[in-house]
Amino acid sequence: MTQATPVLKISHLQKRFGKFNALTDIDFAIYPGEVFGFIGPNGAGKSTTIRILLGLLKANGGTATIFGQDVWQHSVAIHQRLAYVPGDVNLWPNLSGGEIIDLLLKLNGDQHTAKTDALIKAFSLDPRKKARTYSKGNRQKVALIAAFSTDADFYIFDEPTSGLDPLNEQLFQTQVLQLKQAGKSVLLSSHILSEVEKMCDRIGIIREGTIVETGTLADMRHLTRTTIDVQTVQSLAHVAELPGVHGLTVKAGQNHVSFAVDADQLTAVMQYLSAQQLVAITSTPPTLEDLFMRYYTAATPDRK
Amino acid sequence: MLKSLVARTGILCRLNLKRDGLKLLIWMVGLAGLFTAIAAKFEGIYGTQTALNTIAKTLKTPAMVSLFGEFTAKMPYTTATIFATEMVVFMAIMMIIMNIMIAVAATRGEEDTGVLELVRAHTVGRLAPLLATAIELTSLNFIIGLLFGAGLQLAQLPGANTTGNWLIGMGLAASGWLFGMLTLCLAQIATTASETTMLSYAIFGGSYVARMVTDVQHPKLTWWVPFGWIEKLDAYQTNRWLPVVCMLLLGLGCLIGAALMSYQRDLGAGLIAPKQGRLRASASLMGPTTLLLRQLRGTLSAWVIGSAVLGAAYGSIFNTIGDLAKSNPMIKQLLGTSALVAANRLIVKQFIAVLAIVLVVVALIPAIQIMLKLVSDEQKGILHQLYATATSRWHVWASYTGVAVVTAGIVLLAGVGGMYAAGHAVMTTPVVWTTYRQVWLAYLPAMLVMVAAASVLVGWVPKWRYLAWGWTFYGFLSLYLGRLIDLPKWARQLTPLGFVNQVPVHALDWSTNWWCLGLTVLLLGLASWGYRRRDLAQ
Ligand SMILES: Nc1ncnc2c1ncn2[C@@H]1O[C@H](COP(=O)(O)OP(=O)(O)OP(=O)(O)O)[C@@H](O)[C@H]1O
Ligand SMILES: [Mg+2]
Repeated sequence: MTQATPVLKISHLQKRFGKFNALTDIDFAIYPGEVFGFIGPNGAGKSTTIRILLGLLKANGGTATIFGQDVWQHSVAIHQRLAYVPGDVNLWPNLSGGEIIDLLLKLNGDQHTAKTDALIKAFSLDPRKKARTYSKGNRQKVALIAAFSTDADFYIFDEPTSGLDPLNEQLFQTQVLQLKQAGKSVLLSSHILSEVEKMCDRIGIIREGTIVETGTLADMRHLTRTTIDVQTVQSLAHVAELPGVHGLTVKAGQNHVSFAVDADQLTAVMQYLSAQQLVAITSTPPTLEDLFMRYYTAATPDRK
Repeated sequence: MLKSLVARTGILCRLNLKRDGLKLLIWMVGLAGLFTAIAAKFEGIYGTQTALNTIAKTLKTPAMVSLFGEFTAKMPYTTATIFATEMVVFMAIMMIIMNIMIAVAATRGEEDTGVLELVRAHTVGRLAPLLATAIELTSLNFIIGLLFGAGLQLAQLPGANTTGNWLIGMGLAASGWLFGMLTLCLAQIATTASETTMLSYAIFGGSYVARMVTDVQHPKLTWWVPFGWIEKLDAYQTNRWLPVVCMLLLGLGCLIGAALMSYQRDLGAGLIAPKQGRLRASASLMGPTTLLLRQLRGTLSAWVIGSAVLGAAYGSIFNTIGDLAKSNPMIKQLLGTSALVAANRLIVKQFIAVLAIVLVVVALIPAIQIMLKLVSDEQKGILHQLYATATSRWHVWASYTGVAVVTAGIVLLAGVGGMYAAGHAVMTTPVVWTTYRQVWLAYLPAMLVMVAAASVLVGWVPKWRYLAWGWTFYGFLSLYLGRLIDLPKWARQLTPLGFVNQVPVHALDWSTNWWCLGLTVLLLGLASWGYRRRDLAQ
């Protein structure tokens, strides 16, 4: 991991809405040139975290800095070098898409450039329509075009593709990769795990207002279970008794089973399996989805 | 067929009740309480025959006719007939405002936020939401009408009779209901909630002006103005039910029209098709202020024009009002020409002083609306986009507050200007512009205090922002009716408007102006501080 100064640094961030603790302990950092995936169940606090980062909400505790500056105190200076696209884009109903793109660019001291036109064309947006008449996806495109044509250093996307068709989603991914190649940092919150898996260097999982895990996908895989589908000559009746084996299902008789095994017990289990004379074996590394399920369904701490 | 069109109306009614329950209750209690309280107080104010005769003389003057309608009470005057003359137009205004607000929120408001789309996706008839709103409005008006009637029964005004009491109650209910139904109709024509509101108030304002002009000039013609029907009840005398029938028929017509249009049109669309927008932003669209102005330009021009027309309508009757000799030819010989001119001018000035309050409230409405729009734009999430750019809280707050303040000033200026222009055209010896300017100068600082107070609510307690409407409403009530219902001075001075001492009859008081301006600055400082340190509403 680069030990450069982080673009974004959050430590022990807390937020209460009345008596409800929306965020109890958020801790993570994003480094230059990094795409950080931010995932978690509905209502976990992703958007709340992002709104704090944007200075829209005021944190009750902890610190958050972007470019080394406090997100609440110096929001204007920070926003000069930041672009943001929310999942629910709400626009000024009687302005056209073209006007809104220009306005958002101007407010950040940017210009409508050839790149803007290229993006409008690529996303196939009709810029002359009034925002009131845009579909959800089209409203999102307006915000995305404005964001991608801004020359920022840090991009925040909160479920940016929730309304986009697959073609435009593809385009979004290409654009984010270009940002990454240009050395920009990205915070991407999304429920589309394949998207996160494909694009993100590191991932943070948030649940019930707390970051439960951060790291690269490879790191995380290590923390979880591999699925194994195995067929042997000798009986596998005792596999279930091995430490670290979970969820055994019998496929056919005693000799064909599938189960999940903890990463740290993998070697021992493999040794046992080969002793039973392997006929066929497939092992599937955990997908992000498996990881996700594991964290999402874990016991719920009390948030009140 | 019909059954499927209105399927599940009952469930929607219950939903509406849940959503609007508190709002409806506040209106009901507020209006019925106000009405009954004034009725109860009336006997104390106009207890003697002399008091009744004096007030009758006042109410007969064109100035008062323009505010309260033709004076039709016959000798001997009773407390009840005076009450009927003074209160009916004012209460009808309140009923209509209530109906417009509720009707817009329940129709276009729901459509704008997308709630209606969710509702309609269920097995709910095409016309069910409209019908549910119509039922809600009908019950609301009917209940308030009953409360009015019951209040009058309780108050037992001398000269009142049971038929008259219920006639007034039902007449007010019917006039409110009529405008509620009209708003439902307009909601199908316009494209958004704010457009519907504008259209409704434009028609309401137009009919208010029309009835005023006909009342002063040819009271018979008022029959042609639906808003004027409420003046034709002739309560406690001939007790006419015809106006109530007229209102019900026209309201029913509006409801049928609304249903037909609602059946035809697409969800979220109106009859006015949206135009294509610009390809690129113009150079003038460059920051929060220009953005706000760009959004509001239609609304603001409408307010300026509306205020100017209202002012001009008032001005156009100055020659009728300011002509003592017309009503009493003897006066000319008694006073002599120059004294007569002076007396006439004083009457016109008195009239201007009374009307100023109407123009002030008309100017306050858009100003406060803009101030509160800051919170509703936050809630809609529109401002999140803006704040993600390098735009500070202070800048956005200052834009909304600034535009609100300037709007207050300009709309009032338009009203006063319209009054001057029309007065100048019709009067032989017109009142000079300086007089009108004094009115503007006298009221503006007091208005600014009220806008600034709204800004404080927005900055500190956005949930309580509607208190600003309550205060404005109280200001209107206390000044429009204050003297007639003998409201004590301290009660009239619960709003800064109450400190403006009948300009232009009395001279403009600069010390009041200065403390109002000082208070404004203080409140604005407080508001901007609060707005910069709170969470964005969502
Ligand atoms: N203004 C508010 N007042 C009270 N509670 C709030 C407010 N805003 C958010 N919350 C609560 O805070 C929690 C976190 O919400 P948040 O929007 O951050 O979730 P999220 O992780 O973005 O979820 P999703 O995946 O559905 O977008 C939710 O339980 C939500 O109900
Ligand atoms: Mg969210």
